[in-house]
Amino acid sequence: MEDHDIDEEEFEFSRNYFLAKESGKSGKKSARKISEIDLVDEQDLRAEVSNIEPKHEKEIASLINSYKSLYNEWVFELRYGFGLLMYGFGSKKTLLEDFASTALTEYNVIVVNGYLQSINLKQVAMAMAEVLWDQLKMQPRSTSGGLLKDQQPFNSRSMADLIAFLDGPHAAEDECLVCLLVHNIDGPGLRDSETQHLLARIAACSHVRIVASIDHVNAPLLWDKKMVHVEFNWCWHHVPTFAPYMIEGVFHPLILAHGGTSQSVKTASIVLQSLTPNAQSVFKMRRHSDGQDCLYIPLSKDALEKLLLD
Amino acid sequence: MRGSTRQQRIKKSVGRTCRNVKVNLSSSLAASHEAEVVGDQLDENLRMKNFHNAWVKIESTIKDVLHNINADVFNEIDGWVHRSFGAICSSGKPDTNKATCSYPIVTDVTAKQIFTALVVMNNMEFVDDLQTFADLGIHLQSHGCHVANLSSVDFSAKNGIGGCLKSLSRQILKGSIDAADISILASWYMEQENSKRPVVVIVEDMDRCSGPVLSDFILMLSEWVIKIPVLLILGVATTLDAPKSILSSKAVQHLSPFKFFLGSPADRLDAIIEAVLVKPCSGFLLGHKVAAFIRNCFLRQDGTLTSLVRAVKMAIVQHFLMEPLSFIVKGLLDEEVTQSGEPTSLSEAWPKQALDLPSCMRILSEPKTEALLGGASKMKELLNLWSCVVLCLYDAGKNQKTTLLDLYYEALDPKLYNLRHTEYLESQPDSQRPSSTHGLHGQSFRNKGSLIGHTVRQVRDLPPAALFQLLEKWVKQTDGVKEMHEKVKELQLQEKFEDDNLKEPANRSRRQTIRNNGNLDKRTKELNQKAAALISCMARDHMQPIECIPFHEIVCFKNVDKLQAALLGDPRRRIQLDLLECHSFLKCSCCSKSCNVPISSMHDTTLMYTLAQEHGDLINLHDWYQSFRSIIFQRPVKERHRSKVSPSPKKRKTTTEPQNITEASVQARFCRAVTELQITGLLRMPSKRRPDYVQRVAFGL
Repeated sequence: MEDHDIDEEEFEFSRNYFLAKESGKSGKKSARKISEIDLVDEQDLRAEVSNIEPKHEKEIASLINSYKSLYNEWVFELRYGFGLLMYGFGSKKTLLEDFASTALTEYNVIVVNGYLQSINLKQVAMAMAEVLWDQLKMQPRSTSGGLLKDQQPFNSRSMADLIAFLDGPHAAEDECLVCLLVHNIDGPGLRDSETQHLLARIAACSHVRIVASIDHVNAPLLWDKKMVHVEFNWCWHHVPTFAPYMIEGVFHPLILAHGGTSQSVKTASIVLQSLTPNAQSVFKMRRHSDGQDCLYIPLSKDALEKLLLD
Repeated sequence: MRGSTRQQRIKKSVGRTCRNVKVNLSSSLAASHEAEVVGDQLDENLRMKNFHNAWVKIESTIKDVLHNINADVFNEIDGWVHRSFGAICSSGKPDTNKATCSYPIVTDVTAKQIFTALVVMNNMEFVDDLQTFADLGIHLQSHGCHVANLSSVDFSAKNGIGGCLKSLSRQILKGSIDAADISILASWYMEQENSKRPVVVIVEDMDRCSGPVLSDFILMLSEWVIKIPVLLILGVATTLDAPKSILSSKAVQHLSPFKFFLGSPADRLDAIIEAVLVKPCSGFLLGHKVAAFIRNCFLRQDGTLTSLVRAVKMAIVQHFLMEPLSFIVKGLLDEEVTQSGEPTSLSEAWPKQALDLPSCMRILSEPKTEALLGGASKMKELLNLWSCVVLCLYDAGKNQKTTLLDLYYEALDPKLYNLRHTEYLESQPDSQRPSSTHGLHGQSFRNKGSLIGHTVRQVRDLPPAALFQLLEKWVKQTDGVKEMHEKVKELQLQEKFEDDNLKEPANRSRRQTIRNNGNLDKRTKELNQKAAALISCMARDHMQPIECIPFHEIVCFKNVDKLQAALLGDPRRRIQLDLLECHSFLKCSCCSKSCNVPISSMHDTTLMYTLAQEHGDLINLHDWYQSFRSIIFQRPVKERHRSKVSPSPKKRKTTTEPQNITEASVQARFCRAVTELQITGLLRMPSKRRPDYVQRVAFGL
């Protein structure tokens, strides 16, 4: 791109910004309210959202299918140390899971659903370490034999130890690889700086390869130069799918819904469903003094004090 | 890729945040073309092998270049480490009992000084020096030091001094240490085999560390310095005063600093450009537009050597993927030698498919069979000449701080090369001009603004001593390139002859001396002119860029758009374009004639975003919903036309609203579209201050 083209682009962008700001001020600002819309009942609205008739189904399927021809390229780039970053409008969950299940046969794949509200990266690192350990045990000439004797279980190791293990010179790098597939690496559960630095350190490990998707236009702001060029080593791929954000949108409140109580209930029920049966059984239900039903965890006074101190 | 069969298994973990998938993939080959496919597979394997060798060559070349640049300063630091350690050891060692007791020994203030090396990076872009400090650690370890590399992550305010101590212990003690306890380190150090070697702690990026945490760390080390004689190396990105502004004054007092300076980023950049892109390295080259893009990224956007190297690696990967003839010939442009030390003759011919390449069809004048057989050798020869001239120009431009990146970029330009040729031909008598230049009468193509032209002109103004040094460099550069070496040597001899005339005999008169000096100035100027003419001639005749050579597509990557897309995603622009140009991706018949006019068949989120463009930075939700609703309830154009032209009353539609669209479904679709725009970050949701508006975040493309 010539220098003057770059200047033209930057000028055009800032010109549009100021034009938009001016048009917002110059015209008479509409004072209409959402409440003036004849809104349907919230439950009906939610039911309708779940049952929206899909449009352009065939075209969307065809578009997603067209990306299959790129799978070999993507695998090649992964092999040579690049992290794959998929972007473009539309849910990329189906596309990436198809890619992982058909093309990443040399790797064990760990999937992280970044669109969830909270993610436990320690668990992710543990799962990766366990999978790598299983692979290393199958290698005849690896140096893992020496490690076996001092092997602490992974669930008792610190994050730094897990990363050191994933980065260790246990075997030739292209023999034992774990692929980390992160849906929505820019999702709300992963957006904080510390999490991104941790993900970057994991991605930089010699036995790890990363494939991720983003949807937010400002996602690049999550990363500094070290993360982009060295740790993640992103190779960008524009793969718009126009597939609906069914699961990614679950945690976003509906703009026309009244209040947030239904959303809170839905969010709480999704979180509860994600727990194991044992964890679910910890919660009890009772009626609060204001007449509302609530969930609580029964704890003795001592246990509660200890929890608060920790 | 290797095909293999494995069992599929799925494992769910707590919280369902991660899932392990291994997949069954079976490969199958069409039996009827088995022999052909096996042959193709062998070619593909050969390409892979050659590509991999080229990749490894680039990586190892870069590593060697950086190692050589840093070698001197690394040796200096190593010398300082051992001298300092010697000084520490000469002051005696505490006995084991005192050394391992829980309280540190306090003698006097000077005993608490820590020998500290301030390694000035001359580079704000710390990412370029990550490997430098890792290499320094390895270098010191190989020279008998215990080494720990700590970064700013270890000195974060959140982790405090415990974080850096744990990291230090883990690296020195090489085990998993949970307790951040320096007395454990002291006990370990007192063991005989450990105490003979210095402990070096490298803090890679001091400027990014938390000042209070680093200060506490230094104070702690100073308390224990008698028991654990730590030598501190601090990487300084800014200035030598940085420790005073980041650390507490108490911590600064305990540092006994020594300064070391790393090579400048510009020197490193030029060294890498020379080794990887100018000189024959891996058989892979960049086209002019790709070089321009990489240069622009470096100068205008990123500014890191790391990103430049990454761009080159990305280019080579893409070249392999996009050009089926790439890497088909092994070791095309590297310096392969036989056991006797002689370079091997390049006997590999280009494949027949190379005759279909555009450069071959356009440029080739000789018989095709000959071209295929001799093409690789000829290309190598031309590229060696090109490389030699570029490096001679670089030597000439060093006094004016001309960067090799700029020269390299210009030297790759086929247009400039053709202009140089045309300019030369213009200056020839008509009879000597080829027909292609007729019709260019009177037009001057002197490219006075070009860097190469400027560098050539500078040669005219060089003082004699500088000209002498330059000619010496040119003699070395052109060694082995007979087309140029003899001319350079001839000029050097003339220069030496003039230099000898400078030595005046004692019996010369003053008038003779003045006359001689005047003649000398004239002759020196003539020499400068000759040197400038020589380099100009070399540039014109021998600096043929790769894109002007037949078959260059095999070795030269030119697809700048693909490289740019892979390196710079630009999601802010692209996601908006996806929404506004949805039809170009979906290619549906229902929206084919909309021409971006909102219609009901459009993808809902696209429709919403198109409608949003009509608003300013704040969008009234009520109005936005009403616009969306009216479009949804609008009859498709086809239906409206059909109802107008259909002759049969039975077929005419009388209803004004499409069937099956309820108010609830419209509201649901509106909500989901807003959610999708929220996920993309193109909208900011209503707040308490403006509950009925959403705010646009992106404006225009």
